[in-house]
Amino acid sequence: MTESRIADSKPMSRRTFLGRSAAGGLALGAPALASACGGGGGSGGKAKIRMWTWYSEQQALWPKVIKDFEKAHSNIQVENRIFGDTNSYLPALQASVSAGEPPDIFAPHVLAIQYGKAGIALDLKKALGSDFLSGFFPSTNAEYSDGGKQYAIGWMAQTFGIFYNTEIFTRAGVDVPETWDDFSSAAAAIRQKTGLVPCSLSNNPGPSGLDFFLPLITQVTDNPQLVLDLDMQRGGTTWNSPQVVQALSLVQKLVKEQAFGSGINGVTGTQAATAFYTSKAAMLYSGSWEPQGFRMNAPASFQSKYKVMQTPAWAAGKKHWCANQAGAGLSVAAGSKNKDAAIEFLKYMYEPARYAQIMNQSHSMPSTVAAGQKIQDPVLKEMTSWLIKGNGCPHILFGKGSSDSASNELAALIGGKKDPQAVAAGIQKAVHQAQGR
Amino acid sequence: MSLIGAIRADTQRAARLRRSAVGYLFILPIVGFFLAFVLYPFIRSFYISLTRWAGYGTPEFIGLRNFDALLHDSIFWTALKTTLTFTAISTILQTLLPMLLAILLNAGWRGGTLFRTLLFIPQVVSLVVSGLLWQLLLDGNFGIVNRVLADVGLHALTRHWLADTHTVLASILAVSLWQSLGFYMLIFFAGLQGIDRTLYEAARVDGANRFQEMLRITVPMLRPVTAVVVTLNLIGGVKVFELIYVMTGGGPDHSSEVLGTYLYGLAFGSTAGSIPAVGYATAVSVVVFILGMATVVAQFWMTRRSRNVY
Repeated sequence: MTESRIADSKPMSRRTFLGRSAAGGLALGAPALASACGGGGGSGGKAKIRMWTWYSEQQALWPKVIKDFEKAHSNIQVENRIFGDTNSYLPALQASVSAGEPPDIFAPHVLAIQYGKAGIALDLKKALGSDFLSGFFPSTNAEYSDGGKQYAIGWMAQTFGIFYNTEIFTRAGVDVPETWDDFSSAAAAIRQKTGLVPCSLSNNPGPSGLDFFLPLITQVTDNPQLVLDLDMQRGGTTWNSPQVVQALSLVQKLVKEQAFGSGINGVTGTQAATAFYTSKAAMLYSGSWEPQGFRMNAPASFQSKYKVMQTPAWAAGKKHWCANQAGAGLSVAAGSKNKDAAIEFLKYMYEPARYAQIMNQSHSMPSTVAAGQKIQDPVLKEMTSWLIKGNGCPHILFGKGSSDSASNELAALIGGKKDPQAVAAGIQKAVHQAQGR
Repeated sequence: MSLIGAIRADTQRAARLRRSAVGYLFILPIVGFFLAFVLYPFIRSFYISLTRWAGYGTPEFIGLRNFDALLHDSIFWTALKTTLTFTAISTILQTLLPMLLAILLNAGWRGGTLFRTLLFIPQVVSLVVSGLLWQLLLDGNFGIVNRVLADVGLHALTRHWLADTHTVLASILAVSLWQSLGFYMLIFFAGLQGIDRTLYEAARVDGANRFQEMLRITVPMLRPVTAVVVTLNLIGGVKVFELIYVMTGGGPDHSSEVLGTYLYGLAFGSTAGSIPAVGYATAVSVVVFILGMATVVAQFWMTRRSRNVY
């Protein structure tokens, strides 16, 4: 039946075929073309906000937050996209920025100031007001600020401390160290009496080692502004200063004393944490996201075995400066047609009760003082108390070439290839070179 | 020419033109695709390599300054050296071992098909998955490799394979070999099937032993196939990226950094958390392109040489 119909049909001429192909192509392409030319409007006259992050901690909470917001703001629609990690997120963000269509709200990673200076990220000091921003921990505001403007706000803060296994400490007969000298003694005792790795530390990828090293510069100087100035090469500061060399010397000393496991340069954050919660290491130097990871990955019996201590002080009686900033922030696209709607959504998310609830439910460390005071998780509560005392200091580098240069040289120090003086000089030289690119 | 002749010639020319036009219409989509997605980006890349550009805003033309900076960039030289080392060693290993295996399997061993299949299986696993898998196996603290070594009394050989600057490249090369062995072996195996059996019979009549047959017949007759395998390995080596990116990200301390991982890090800054330097990264990609071109030229040279020999 079908065969005869085909046989009876009139053969299609080339011209007809081409004509129909073109018409078909247009028909298929028209919707895509129309949507591409459609601009930033949403469906049914709604303003559509696109939000891109890699913050999976709140993945389960977003649908309800967004639904409630859309219910209260019927003219705004939120399209939320959470990427798996920074490795998949950053190229996508960069492509959207290069194409001139960044998401309306996005996680700026270390690019907030650069994007702000280039007119891509909105000045939130102007958009949200100084009163709104004054509720954030100062360290989480400082990292996104330059020239009197602020280009992002902290979403999840991160604070670093030393997680320790209380059972191993008891077996080794050591107490929580007050200073780095005490830490050295405790590490030696743990190694000698238990044969375990005293402290697990990761430096893969490179910048993770900076989380340990950069706070030491603040510990030497009691000046958290210095790292920010070194990063931006402001006020005549240079990386090859004696204070930086002092901080590097402590890193070298601890590595030589084998206070950390071997192969630090190749150890990833996951490997370091695993060594800790499988009781192969007595301590873990890491950030406030770990308790959530322990809850998900460690054996149930481990949960009661660990506590967290402040980073040891440079000397007895000195401040316990600890790495703290908000690696997870939020920026608003300056060129967005829906930036008012985006600002509205930010204000909604940061309403004190709602923000505290989101942070508590996702076991995340908040960036605002008010939410910090409402933390329920005991370990996070302890870590946040250090910030409330004002012990937070910078550990993320935002300046052009800073992060690469410092992490490359630090790896050389940890690997025993260079001494502190050469490393400090190397960072300065590499930063200078990178800024010319 | 008569008027009728002239009209006929015009009509034929018009018909030819119409036929050509239809032909051009048919290839128009692929030509358009090639221009938009290959030629334009290719030319644009050369231009971008001459600019300072972070991936947003207007690129600033700086002439050859990026290339001058490359000359003084120690990480670039490390990456170039590692790329060439990786390419050379992987090409040698991934040519000789598959060839030997193919010759052995071609000898008609019982179970040869099963062995061939087993060797080919890694090839169907994606490079990213292989990389992640081997990252776990080679883990210094919990990896099976160290566990097995320790269990058989070779504790002294246990290492942080991917965290040690002395063992990281060798470890990656081993994984690369594991991944590609079966594929190249199959290519050689197919080549062996095409060798005329009478050549071996004639050699045997002349008193040649198995080793002489392999040396005097098999290896020379496999030269065109070898050229293909070598070329594929050279190109694969020059543009190696996924395996190293997944397994080490170029570390520790850049000891496994290759041009691919370095330029990716410069352009997207995803592993190092750096500010993108797309112009500079594109200058690195131009170097990769030149190396790739050199490989293609080498391929032409080898192919022509093998054609001249036979």
